[in-house]
Amino acid sequence: MRSTSRFSALLAAGLLACVSNAFTRNPRWTIGMSQCNLGEPWRVQMNADIKKSAEAYPELRVIFKDAQNDNLRQCAHVEEFARQKVNLIIISPKEAAPLAKPVADAFRSGIPVIVLDRRVMGNDYTCFIGADNKKIGRAAGKWIANQLKGKGNIVELKGLMTSTPGQDRNSGFREGIAGSGVSVIFEADMKWLEPNARIEMESALARFPNITLVYAHNDPGAHGAYLAARAAGREKQITFVGIDGLPQEGQMYVRQGVLSASFEYPTGGREAIAVALDILNGKKVQKEIVLPSRVFTYENVGKGGEWLKE
Amino acid sequence: MASIKDHPLARAFLSLALVLVLGAVFNADGTFLQWATQRDMLRQVSVYGILACGMSVVIIAGGIDLSVGSILGLCAVAFSLLSMHRGAPDVIAIGATLALGTACGLISGGVIARFRVQPFIATLAMMVFARGLAKLISGGEKISTAVQLPDGTYQYADTPHLFDVISARMLGENVAVVTVILGVCLILVWILLSRTPWGRQIYAIGGNEEAALYAGIPVRSTKLLAYGLSGLSCAVAGICQAAQELQGDPEAGATYELTAIAMVVIGGTSLQGGRGSIWLTLLGVLIIGSLEKILSINAVGEETRLMLTGLIILAAVLFQRNT
Repeated sequence: MRSTSRFSALLAAGLLACVSNAFTRNPRWTIGMSQCNLGEPWRVQMNADIKKSAEAYPELRVIFKDAQNDNLRQCAHVEEFARQKVNLIIISPKEAAPLAKPVADAFRSGIPVIVLDRRVMGNDYTCFIGADNKKIGRAAGKWIANQLKGKGNIVELKGLMTSTPGQDRNSGFREGIAGSGVSVIFEADMKWLEPNARIEMESALARFPNITLVYAHNDPGAHGAYLAARAAGREKQITFVGIDGLPQEGQMYVRQGVLSASFEYPTGGREAIAVALDILNGKKVQKEIVLPSRVFTYENVGKGGEWLKE
Repeated sequence: MASIKDHPLARAFLSLALVLVLGAVFNADGTFLQWATQRDMLRQVSVYGILACGMSVVIIAGGIDLSVGSILGLCAVAFSLLSMHRGAPDVIAIGATLALGTACGLISGGVIARFRVQPFIATLAMMVFARGLAKLISGGEKISTAVQLPDGTYQYADTPHLFDVISARMLGENVAVVTVILGVCLILVWILLSRTPWGRQIYAIGGNEEAALYAGIPVRSTKLLAYGLSGLSCAVAGICQAAQELQGDPEAGATYELTAIAMVVIGGTSLQGGRGSIWLTLLGVLIIGSLEKILSINAVGEETRLMLTGLIILAAVLFQRNT
């Protein structure tokens, strides 16, 4: 009993310390950031980008919330932000339909809302910032067709095919390689997970003696495929291409020569803070911002990659 | 041996044979019949199999351990942090990771034995807690050879030699090192369960805890050790996972507990406790491993794959019961 009360006293003291800490900086504006799921490195990076950009402005304070991949929890987070009257909300929603209402309610109550990466239904938000998966997939397809000079056998390791990024990275890629002469000989859904990608790649390697290239919908998938090929002693005959281009993932693999290319899927964290400052300072902003994307190869990764044209 | 008299081992063999026949029919241009395919399959199931070793002991003792996947993730992160980022000597990195996993298991076991909390709840709590701890110590990122410097740029370290050793193959490239580790775990658990008094106490507790208590069996400490052993096997699996992925992923092992439980149960070990053996678990591991391999080499679509897996798990368990 006594130890319990001592524990709660400690807990209360800790909470108090956190709360007072948060208010000592006394910034002018508070931004609420609702992230749908921090279980993915890409989204961890998005939060890190937002945090880093915001730190340059002492007038900003950002509160982060993680909905742990749960629509209803994310709805509650947006409602909480609206109730505590933050000055601006940034949301990277889990799904378009369930999040539409709380976002619209907040927006109509006068709080500007920036929607990042995935969309919400309707028009009740201030600005959408995102990259175009289909475009990136198409760019990857064209780059690959060009690299293989129109001849080769491709293994496609797909992301979760019930998710829009998976579908777009697939259909864009197919458009990119269409008519080039390269063919996809094996495709499997690895659900964005590296261990799954390795397992599927092992099956592909067992079945097909001639694999020219692996196109994976994310860099961990491409890395998993590389590990499978290395275990089979065939990594030198195969080219590996991935998507996302995070500094500690895709860019590192490219630097190490594991991947031949990684196509960036930008997080938009930096841009979100820039747009947020514009909104808070009363400037007018575009309703829709499509982020440009880069390709990283061994030659250009040291120089920050190369911007994709289109 | 009692287990043979009741024929669960024979039944499990028959299930495996059926799966293998399935593989021989849907062999994907002969791919299933190649040794390299089977070797890959054995590597793929090794991490799950190691978890299933500890899980078998817990289930035979009448319990369940839902925390194995999370502890695996925690140990993979801890092992990668120590050896990749801190440059700790191999012995210390391995030793500390094994100690960490065992400690997690002992905590669950302690809560179950001392406070009589149901194993489902106690290990559920550990499952959530260990995942949180893994995210905390990793900062939410995968621990890889990319080390972030204070200014936000990255420095790239070399892969520790130990990682290469564990992810390699031996015996003329024929067996993955992780498969050998699984083999060692199986043998050790077999010795513990069938050649020591402690093993007999595990069966006794699983069969009837009250009777075991009256018979003078130290129920609490025996249970404590069972969960400690499960935690230890999670640590071994975590080390193998990190070495094979060349990184410590705080999300590693999510839902692995379900696969490990399925392997134990499909083998024919009873979830009621008191009955089963480690060799049944081995057969369960092979059944699930072969099944996934068949679906994978035939490039079966995800939706069909999930439905088939569900049906086959159900069929296998019904078969175990009715024959």
